[in-house]
Amino acid sequence: MSLASDLKQVREGWRWGRRPLVPRSAEPYVLPTQKSVFPSDWSRGPAAVAAREIAQKAGLEPLFRSQVRTRVEGLDVLERLEGPVIFAANHASHLDTPLVLLSLPDAWRRRTAVAAAADYFFDTWWRAVGSSLVFNTFPIDRRGGSMATTPGEVLAEGWSLVIFPEGTRSKDGWMGSFRMGAAFLAVEHGVPVVPVAHRGTFAAMPRDQNWPSKGRRQLTIRFGEPLRPAEGEGVRDFAPRIRDGVAALLDEDSSTWWEAKRHAASGTTPDPSGPDVAPWRRVWDQSQSPEADSPRRLRVWQRK
Amino acid sequence: MSRPGFVLEVDDRTPPMIVHEGLGFRLESFPLGTRVVYPPESLPAVPDVDAAIDHALRNPEDSEPLPALLRAGMRLTIAFDDLSLPLPTMKAPDIRGRIIEAVLTMAAEAGVDDVKLVAANALHRRMTAAELKHIVGERVFRSFYPQGDLYNFDAEDQDNLLHLGTTEHGEDIEIDKRAATSDLLVYVNVNLVAMDGGHKSVGIGLASYKSIKHHHNAKTMVHSRSFMDHKKSAMHHSAWRMGRIIKDTVKVFQIETTLNNDIFPKSLGFLQKREWEWSVRDQASMLAVKRGLAMAPQKARHKLFHDVRSVYGLTGVRAGEVEAVHAKTLEKVHAQHSVEVDGQSDVLVMGVPYVGPYNVNSSMNPILATCMGLGYYFNSYRGQPVVRKGGAVILYHPLDEGFNQLHHPSYVDFYEEVLAESTDPAVVGEKYEQQFAEDPWYRHLYRTSHAYHGVHPFYMWYWAAHAMDHVGDVIWVGGDRKAAARLGFRAATTLQDALEMASSTVGPSPSITYLHNPPHLLADVR
Repeated sequence: MSLASDLKQVREGWRWGRRPLVPRSAEPYVLPTQKSVFPSDWSRGPAAVAAREIAQKAGLEPLFRSQVRTRVEGLDVLERLEGPVIFAANHASHLDTPLVLLSLPDAWRRRTAVAAAADYFFDTWWRAVGSSLVFNTFPIDRRGGSMATTPGEVLAEGWSLVIFPEGTRSKDGWMGSFRMGAAFLAVEHGVPVVPVAHRGTFAAMPRDQNWPSKGRRQLTIRFGEPLRPAEGEGVRDFAPRIRDGVAALLDEDSSTWWEAKRHAASGTTPDPSGPDVAPWRRVWDQSQSPEADSPRRLRVWQRK
Repeated sequence: MSRPGFVLEVDDRTPPMIVHEGLGFRLESFPLGTRVVYPPESLPAVPDVDAAIDHALRNPEDSEPLPALLRAGMRLTIAFDDLSLPLPTMKAPDIRGRIIEAVLTMAAEAGVDDVKLVAANALHRRMTAAELKHIVGERVFRSFYPQGDLYNFDAEDQDNLLHLGTTEHGEDIEIDKRAATSDLLVYVNVNLVAMDGGHKSVGIGLASYKSIKHHHNAKTMVHSRSFMDHKKSAMHHSAWRMGRIIKDTVKVFQIETTLNNDIFPKSLGFLQKREWEWSVRDQASMLAVKRGLAMAPQKARHKLFHDVRSVYGLTGVRAGEVEAVHAKTLEKVHAQHSVEVDGQSDVLVMGVPYVGPYNVNSSMNPILATCMGLGYYFNSYRGQPVVRKGGAVILYHPLDEGFNQLHHPSYVDFYEEVLAESTDPAVVGEKYEQQFAEDPWYRHLYRTSHAYHGVHPFYMWYWAAHAMDHVGDVIWVGGDRKAAARLGFRAATTLQDALEMASSTVGPSPSITYLHNPPHLLADVR
């Protein structure tokens, strides 16, 4: 064995440049990681904001648009709103974050931060720096612990937040249960929650894939009417309303606004957690990209 | 908190695994579905070793406290395990030295004058002064060695052996006369693995060939299933019968210690970790060590490995009556080594490391490598062997270290003459054992030099007798072909070749289990 073959064996065996994997049978024995979380406060300073603008506009956006097609609806709700808000979206893929960010009007995008799992995006310095710089992420602990920077502080600084209340990417593309975090922040800080529903990201780039599938898959994203906690409404009552809001938007995205309204009124909005059928059929449904109304329409008017 | 041992099933996410092979290691990619048995992680060590020793001596099991057993004018003998334990050698100070110091402190307070310290090396080689000093510590060494009160046991010194009688099975019990005629015999052991300790300490460590031959033979070893489980080991049954008679003759105060699995120092820390948890630093140091070993001459590789001093933590120390102490000791040993394994497999894979009990500061010759693989590692089970009857064993070792003429002179003749005629343990024992055991030149070298007893290579071969009886095929990966053939086995270049060769015994797609030791493990096969 030469040095080169040794290096090759280690590079492949230990997945250099990719996230290390634990053998399935060893998963019950993985130690809970107590790793340090890298700070991200710097990433909301003026220098980082300027660098991010270049990274997103000159790097991320052309790359993103070269790989997928998008259809964005419902941005008009933002015109009637003042920031900050919480964007609560379903989560099926790593494409979700760039999709939400790049769908936002520039002024909103520049003032929006993304809550990202501390144990996944902030476990090494380069991953922390990379994701903070490009996506404006800040760490949250999905096991309920506390972090150096809390989402409340980021909100208080005037930043809007993107939160995926499911806490993790869906395994089959269907929506999971929502955690309380987004509702808690909205109730605590009195900010509105804008439900966001998107489809197609699971079909374009599911969990185990690290690059979008070929063929510029279609993604759709829809922003809904802001939800505000009612007077005296608790977190436990508000959280299901957010989920219902996202569910109604998903319904609207796949049907029409009117049909979705009627479904909602009669309580027949399709369950976003999907039908109770064999796992393969659930994946099968979701691996189909949504169809946009006119996928190749010419856009004469620049969207603001 | 240390994690328990477990059985990994190799899947597409599993990185290559470390397999030890003598003065080196290789990274092996096992077929998907291979079971890999990992030992438990190191148990937490006792925080205050001296306090633990003092507590054990003052609060023994089924015995009066040690200070109450000591009185002026008595004959006190302290015996201790030799350098075959622990493996690798412990970083100074050795736990035996610390215990002996505590015992001697109490003896001095009680006014005991007649004290002898004897290394219970049985038919092992005499240790050098430096080796003795490492075990007992400088203070004890200085106080006893120059006066001749600290010495190696001599199993061929007929004047200083005492025949204590025979067991109900007609087994002779002949041990060191000084120990047998002492008012108190304190035995300090290191219970590294489950086979050590108990009545094996005095009953074998201080015994002569006349006594040892009753249980160290092919027939007994085939019926020791395994010799790591004293309740199912014919060898231990014999030692226990002897021990109970020794107990009637001499008061034995047994002190047993258990160690955790902290074997490799920081520089070789990757050998201690589970592969998929290697950091970038671990990967880099593995690559550096591997490339360094590939370039280094044998002598340098030998030095690198044999200079390793392990930083074991003490997990427990107990003292008192032999059997009561040993029962508690085994609980600790099992907690550190035991791994539940569900059923047997067709093929058992083991990597033979650079050191075994009989090549400390010496070389791992082909007979010792066989003993290590088919003896110690194969027998590291409770219940039933990890490999099924008639299955195949695949071992990794180059079998190229040759023989140390100082330590293993009788091995050379055993290898060249005895194995050339037969490799059947029962046959060679029947025909040649006595001749080697009584050979005056080997006896002379054992008594005056640093040679293992003439009969010792036979014992190594008997150690492997159970495995040879049980399995259908033994293949050495990376082994010297001539040496493997002399041992009665076959050699292969790679694991794939070995599996191909074994397919005539176990079929084309056998179930495979790899024992990932060292660190030490004991497979509890259900």
